[in-house]
Amino acid sequence: MTGAPVVFVVDDDPSVRSSLKFLLSTVGLHVESFASADTFLHNNPPDAPSCLVLDVRLPGLSGLDFQRELAARKIYIPIVFLTGHGDIPMSVRAIKAGAVEFLTKPFRDQDLLDAVRIALERDRARREQDKDAMILQRRFDSLTSREQEVISMVVSGMLNKQIADQLGTAESTVKVQRSRAMEKMQAESLVDLIRMIEKLKSPSGNTR
Amino acid sequence: MDEQPRNLTEEITHLQRCVNDLVSALALPAMWSGGEPSQIVHTLLDALLRMLQLDLVYVRLTETGGQAPIEMVRFAQSQKHIARPHEIGDVLKQWLGTAPQEWPPLIRNRLEDRDISIVPLGLGLQGEIGVLVAGSERGDFPRQTEELILSVAANQASIGLQEARLRSEQKRVASELDQRVAQRTTELAAANEELRKEIADRKHAEEDLRSSEEKHRVIIEAAHDAVVTMDERGAILLANPATRRIFGYDPTEIVGKPMTVLMPEVMRKAHENGFKRYLATGKRHLNWQGVEVTAQRKDGQEFPVEVSFGELTSDGHKMFTGFIRDISERKQAEDQLRASERNLQTTQAELARVSRLTTMGELAASIAHEVNQPLTAVINNASACLRLLANRNLEPEVLRHALEGIVADGTRASTVLARIRAFIKKEPAEKGALDINEVIQEVLVLAGRELYENQVLPDHQLKTDLPSVMADRVQLQQVLLNLIMNGIEAMAPVTDRPRLLGVQSRIDESGDVLVAVSDSGTGFGFELDRVFHPFFTTKANGMGMGLSISRSLVENHGGRLWAAPNSPHGAVFSFTLPASVGSPS
Repeated sequence: MTGAPVVFVVDDDPSVRSSLKFLLSTVGLHVESFASADTFLHNNPPDAPSCLVLDVRLPGLSGLDFQRELAARKIYIPIVFLTGHGDIPMSVRAIKAGAVEFLTKPFRDQDLLDAVRIALERDRARREQDKDAMILQRRFDSLTSREQEVISMVVSGMLNKQIADQLGTAESTVKVQRSRAMEKMQAESLVDLIRMIEKLKSPSGNTR
Repeated sequence: MDEQPRNLTEEITHLQRCVNDLVSALALPAMWSGGEPSQIVHTLLDALLRMLQLDLVYVRLTETGGQAPIEMVRFAQSQKHIARPHEIGDVLKQWLGTAPQEWPPLIRNRLEDRDISIVPLGLGLQGEIGVLVAGSERGDFPRQTEELILSVAANQASIGLQEARLRSEQKRVASELDQRVAQRTTELAAANEELRKEIADRKHAEEDLRSSEEKHRVIIEAAHDAVVTMDERGAILLANPATRRIFGYDPTEIVGKPMTVLMPEVMRKAHENGFKRYLATGKRHLNWQGVEVTAQRKDGQEFPVEVSFGELTSDGHKMFTGFIRDISERKQAEDQLRASERNLQTTQAELARVSRLTTMGELAASIAHEVNQPLTAVINNASACLRLLANRNLEPEVLRHALEGIVADGTRASTVLARIRAFIKKEPAEKGALDINEVIQEVLVLAGRELYENQVLPDHQLKTDLPSVMADRVQLQQVLLNLIMNGIEAMAPVTDRPRLLGVQSRIDESGDVLVAVSDSGTGFGFELDRVFHPFFTTKANGMGMGLSISRSLVENHGGRLWAAPNSPHGAVFSFTLPASVGSPS
């Protein structure tokens, strides 16, 4: 893994921004702050575990809209929401959409620090998973299209004979393709293969 | 000298003729009966001339009773000359003189170129009727028989003329009488007519008077107001029936009493003094038309009246008539109106406060944020400081910087709270001279976050050196905040153009201070004036009171609030406030 963790703070209030930076710095975190969502988006994402401390009420794009926008851009950064007035429906929506925490201003410093810690850990874990998934994907990409086809049918529980019938080939041919694919995927057992394919199917970052 | 008859036969013939003539003469009156004197004379002359073979016969009647004298003459046919009667008369007058008593029985004289014997005979006892003159050229004239006949004829004529005169006199008298009677009758008729006319006129006048009096009486009797007349001493002469209803006195009961019985005790002296002064100087201590005073009923109850006076001088005495209207109900209605106006004002003030709270409710989220931001910064900074202290990480510059931030944010939070408290507190309108631009700036700060979060670009063009306005600061803030919040909301759906909120202050054409809040939102469509109606709203959760209340607040300040479309998009809400004189801010 590369680089030290970074906490991104997006809040339009300069006082709040600088106080957050100051507070987070006391626990040795590196903080980068932005006055708006736009300026944050213009910043290149670092190759390090990171999280976003985001005010829900932002000029223009709201915090929740911003959360959606990030998801659409496939930027899977954990978010700690800050809000002036915590209303429950909004917090539920934020959490459902993957927010780590929803803190009502003013909050206890420890709550924020805990939330940031969790967020960074989650991002770190995601990055690990992303890395594993990337390896699996690479293996999967190395299969021929017929091999990919055959193992998709295998993990769905079909027998070799059934696969051969559906593809219009001999059962022996299916057997050969299956074992070659298992080899390329470095799967030690059918169960192992199934786990790998499941992992490939699920989108990154959404581990719950 | 008598001529002797030549013979007896002649004598007898003569006498016979004489007798015949006498008979004729005596028969004359029968012919005259009822005749006029001129007619009598006429027949007399003809008869004598025929009977006595005279050459002339003349009669002159004296004038009587307005009738001209009559002169008549006859000549024998043999006479060639014909004189006029008055010529003959003149001659005879010279001969005879005027007095009939002195006339000689016979005069011989020359008339023209011939001798003539004339016999004058007076008519009437004293000749007062006239004279009969018979003349003949014959030498034997008059013979005895002729004298006899002349004298009989003269007597007969006298009698006839006397009768005629009498008759004529009677006639004249009768006619005069008739005439007088007729004249008198005419006069009487005229007088009668005059009298009738006069009577009719008087009757008419009386009727007029009666009808006019009747009219006035009816008016006064039927009048809703009490009508009370008093004399110079201030004693009541007359009161109409309405007096009973209004004052409780029977109209007859207060006649003769002083006018002051209709007034409360405390006013009586003032009235008497004022009345005395008026009688002495002609100066009125009150306006006489529609003056409002307090009156007193018989039962002592006091009530407000409106009084008008009229003055009349009759037979040298002054009379005063008061028309007294009970205005208790009107007063009561006025009081009620005032009370309900006060209530309305209270309600309006309460409504304004509620509306302020509603506006604040709408603003609550951003206000909470506004307070929470500095508090959050304070707590973050303080927490960080505590951590540094716990770690003995004591860099003074770092700590000082954090503490300065804490102080600044604490102050900021308290400023926000003070602003909010001032805005929502329940206080009666308190007007003072305000700088409108200052109020606009304050409200822009209050609405700053809303503007910011909705990405609305405020653009204020505030004219410097504006005169100050007399206004309640909080109410003015409310109006402005309302307009600004409306503008922000109207622009929420706008994504294809900048969201511009303009706030302008300037002086309008009439010298008032004008504030215009414009937006580039969706505009009104059809709702242009309805937006000011209470409970009209285009917002899903709006109360629809904001603009209605804003308008009434502005109007309470003597200004106007109206809406107009903005170009090319949106709306402009403008309001004016009268510039306060003489106190520039």
